[in-house]
Amino acid sequence: MKNTIQLSPKDTINAFLLFFVINTTQVGVGIHGFQRIIHQDAKHDAWISVLIAGIASHIIAFLMIKTLEMYGSNDLYGIQQDMFGQWIGNFLNIIYVLYCSFAFFVILRNYIEVIQAWVFPDLDTWFISATLLLIVIYAFAGGLRVIVGVSFFSFVISIWLILLIWFPIKFSDASHLLPILETNMSAILKGAQSMTFTIVGFEVLNVIYPFVKDKNNVKKHVHFGLLVTTLLYLSIMLVSLTYFSGEELNKTIWATLSLFSIVRFPFIERFEYIAICFWMLVILPNLCLYLWAAYRGTIRLVKVSTNKFGWIFSVLILIATISIQTRAQINMVNTKFGQVAFYIVFTYPIFLYVVAVVKKKFTSHEEKIK
Amino acid sequence: MFKKKFKLPFSKKQSPGGSDKEQEDSKEKKDNKSTKQSSIEGEIERHDGKVKKETKNSSNKESSIESEKEQKVSKGNMISSSRNVFIQAIKDATQNPADLIVKFIHPNLTLIYIDNLVDGITLTDHIIPNLFKKTNESPENIKSLLSVPQVKLTDHLTETVSALVEGTVLIHVEGYTQVVLANISTRESRALHAPENESQVIGSQVGFNESLSTNISLIRRYIMNPDLCNEKFKIGKQTNTTVSVLYIKGIASETMVNTLRQRITDVHVDSLLDSSVLVQMIDDNSLSPFPQMLLTERPDRFCDGLLNGKLGIIVDGSSMGILCPQSFIEFFQSREDQNLRWPIASFFRLLRLSAIFLSIYLTPIYVAALTFHYEVIPQTLLIPLSESRALVPFPPIIEALFLEIIIELLREAGARLPTKVGQTIGIVGGIVIGTAAVQAGITSNILIIIVALSALASFTTPNYMMGNVIRVIRFPLIILAGFWGFYGIMLGFCFLLIHLLRQSSLGSPYTAPFYPPRLIDWRDSIIRLPLPFTFNRPKSKRPKDRKKYDPEPINPEKKVELRVK
Repeated sequence: MKNTIQLSPKDTINAFLLFFVINTTQVGVGIHGFQRIIHQDAKHDAWISVLIAGIASHIIAFLMIKTLEMYGSNDLYGIQQDMFGQWIGNFLNIIYVLYCSFAFFVILRNYIEVIQAWVFPDLDTWFISATLLLIVIYAFAGGLRVIVGVSFFSFVISIWLILLIWFPIKFSDASHLLPILETNMSAILKGAQSMTFTIVGFEVLNVIYPFVKDKNNVKKHVHFGLLVTTLLYLSIMLVSLTYFSGEELNKTIWATLSLFSIVRFPFIERFEYIAICFWMLVILPNLCLYLWAAYRGTIRLVKVSTNKFGWIFSVLILIATISIQTRAQINMVNTKFGQVAFYIVFTYPIFLYVVAVVKKKFTSHEEKIK
Repeated sequence: MFKKKFKLPFSKKQSPGGSDKEQEDSKEKKDNKSTKQSSIEGEIERHDGKVKKETKNSSNKESSIESEKEQKVSKGNMISSSRNVFIQAIKDATQNPADLIVKFIHPNLTLIYIDNLVDGITLTDHIIPNLFKKTNESPENIKSLLSVPQVKLTDHLTETVSALVEGTVLIHVEGYTQVVLANISTRESRALHAPENESQVIGSQVGFNESLSTNISLIRRYIMNPDLCNEKFKIGKQTNTTVSVLYIKGIASETMVNTLRQRITDVHVDSLLDSSVLVQMIDDNSLSPFPQMLLTERPDRFCDGLLNGKLGIIVDGSSMGILCPQSFIEFFQSREDQNLRWPIASFFRLLRLSAIFLSIYLTPIYVAALTFHYEVIPQTLLIPLSESRALVPFPPIIEALFLEIIIELLREAGARLPTKVGQTIGIVGGIVIGTAAVQAGITSNILIIIVALSALASFTTPNYMMGNVIRVIRFPLIILAGFWGFYGIMLGFCFLLIHLLRQSSLGSPYTAPFYPPRLIDWRDSIIRLPLPFTFNRPKSKRPKDRKKYDPEPINPEKKVELRVK
């Protein structure tokens, strides 16, 4: 196998850190307002859509790992080059790099919008964008170990936020969920497709796989990470469905943040102010990992140093964030990204797996003939 | 004439060529003239006029001395068998200091030493009487004659001179090209005191002092183990400071020892006056405000580190030992935590940890909440807050910076002033300035409480260096909070998190044991579990022997016992 990645043990990470990587890349800005989008399609059965999307993510991750295992220590970029040849492979690599950059941009732009809508209406887009990009570059320049460290701390430090759903549970009404399966199946499936924007992120596994030290345990930790994410989304969806009425949910863009706003302690209320700023820590691993994934693809195409890539990338993203301003534009970008991500994350790996299996059969057959 | 005859066979052995010998002879003649005076005065040990006369002599014969120097360089650093040449050579090499004592013992012995460096009692009791008893001996015999432990022979001038400035008595025997070096340097040091910067309630009350040998003896008292390695290095072109690297073979990681060795030998500076300077030169990232190696003045803490697989460094003249590698969380652990019962120790550790967060974030949160996010404050709390701020003409950021700077001023003044004055300053600052500031309407009462609380919290850090960092990083955070509210605070938090993740101490991760996660080491991190659970050495130190003891109960069998499993 050509193009395999040779690594020193210093650069590798433990398989069980993949749990944090998978979980933190999945949870990002989507969680702020995924309820409305799913509810539009699946109505009060939206939680079934979430469940279906979760199961789908497990299946896709399973196929991804199968494909990666066939190639030993190699990432998606190397596999594509090997499978489709230099030209088509590099073309696909460019598309994947563009996809990672697109994901990075969408996360950043959505977060900036949330900050401007909820906390600082007057803060300039370019300022938020530039400061966040500086932080991301600082982490990115530290290498994969630092990025995975950010994922780890992001998960550990922000996991307590989930306990806050206790506050809306007190006011929720379980009868909102009944009758179950009232919506027809195609609508529920459509809702599951709309989950794409929220649930993607685990495709970073394609790039990080060769950096894992003990590859035998990859499966276990990846699936565990996906399971935790699915449960997290499911619980938030259930709470939202029972707390809000259907009409309300259709009008609430950021339902999760609205849930936060009823949290009150003796010394703090309007908790969403803190939660939104705190969310910087949640999206930080997202941004870092997508940047890193884009970088891994780019160095297969052109020789470029880490720092140089980080700066060029950031300047381009900064220009892009400034150029897209209105809510309608952002919504359109989100929808587009959801569609693109559905094909790249949920459809393409199946195709890739089939091709890999066929090719392997073919080559082994050839070898036998030889 | 007898002298010369006596000398010749030896000088033949030493000097490589005939021409050299001739030069030597001619130089000797000059020297005889010049040092006649000093040889007469030789018996008088301290003679103030001597220096003046010497300088006069040297000025008269300046040109000749210069030429002699050149000759000496060409000759290499051999020791002359002639007493006068030897004395002159030593005087030249040491710039003829006022405290250089030259003493003759009839008929052929010369003692040279620097008065302030050697132990006078040892000299008069153990060296001079022995020499008076037996004169006319060869250097080898003199070496065995002296009842002083550190005696050696040398025939190199450079070695002789460097030994002289370390506190050695040179014994020159007329007619021999070898010199006896008897090291009887004074070990003047402060008496052992309780460690003032790292005081603790339960535990030993002894701290390092400025003497390298005392400090090492303190450590050796704790660890009576032949595997305790001690490697010596000399740092500083001007100061020649001795630096000792200590570690326990079989526990400490060899690669780390090699790394440290290489870093220390690569230090090329002119002087080294304190271990805290050495730390800044050998740590992983000198640009970071966070210390990456521990400075401690507690021998028990130092030994605890060595026993956990760390490497220790002791610098002569410094009362702080260096321990590395050190992780971030270990700066907030005290040696006392091991001495207390585990639930109490865990409670104190958690208290300290929350104190750090309070200390760093309390004032910024106040500034951010009152500048931008009034909504997050419940109404009941908002009323007293706004009442106390009603008269304050400044925005919260100015108010907070003003008070924080006052607190820092008080701390700095308290640290620099003599102890007695320092207390007064504390009272003046705390009561007078605080009350006056509120009455004048410059600050709010609540902010005074918050600032005092965060200052107090920052002093709970057991390590002074780390406590300083915590106090200083508060200022950028206050500014961030004053301009961009919670967003600014979070920006600062993320930056600090990434910064800590990027650091390493001697190549081992700074955020250990949390990241990379080593669950078994969490048992002794922000909490401390009972001793039967903490039987492992921390993995981030890459110890060769991971187990401190068996996980089985370490206490002796108890009649009626509860097996801790």
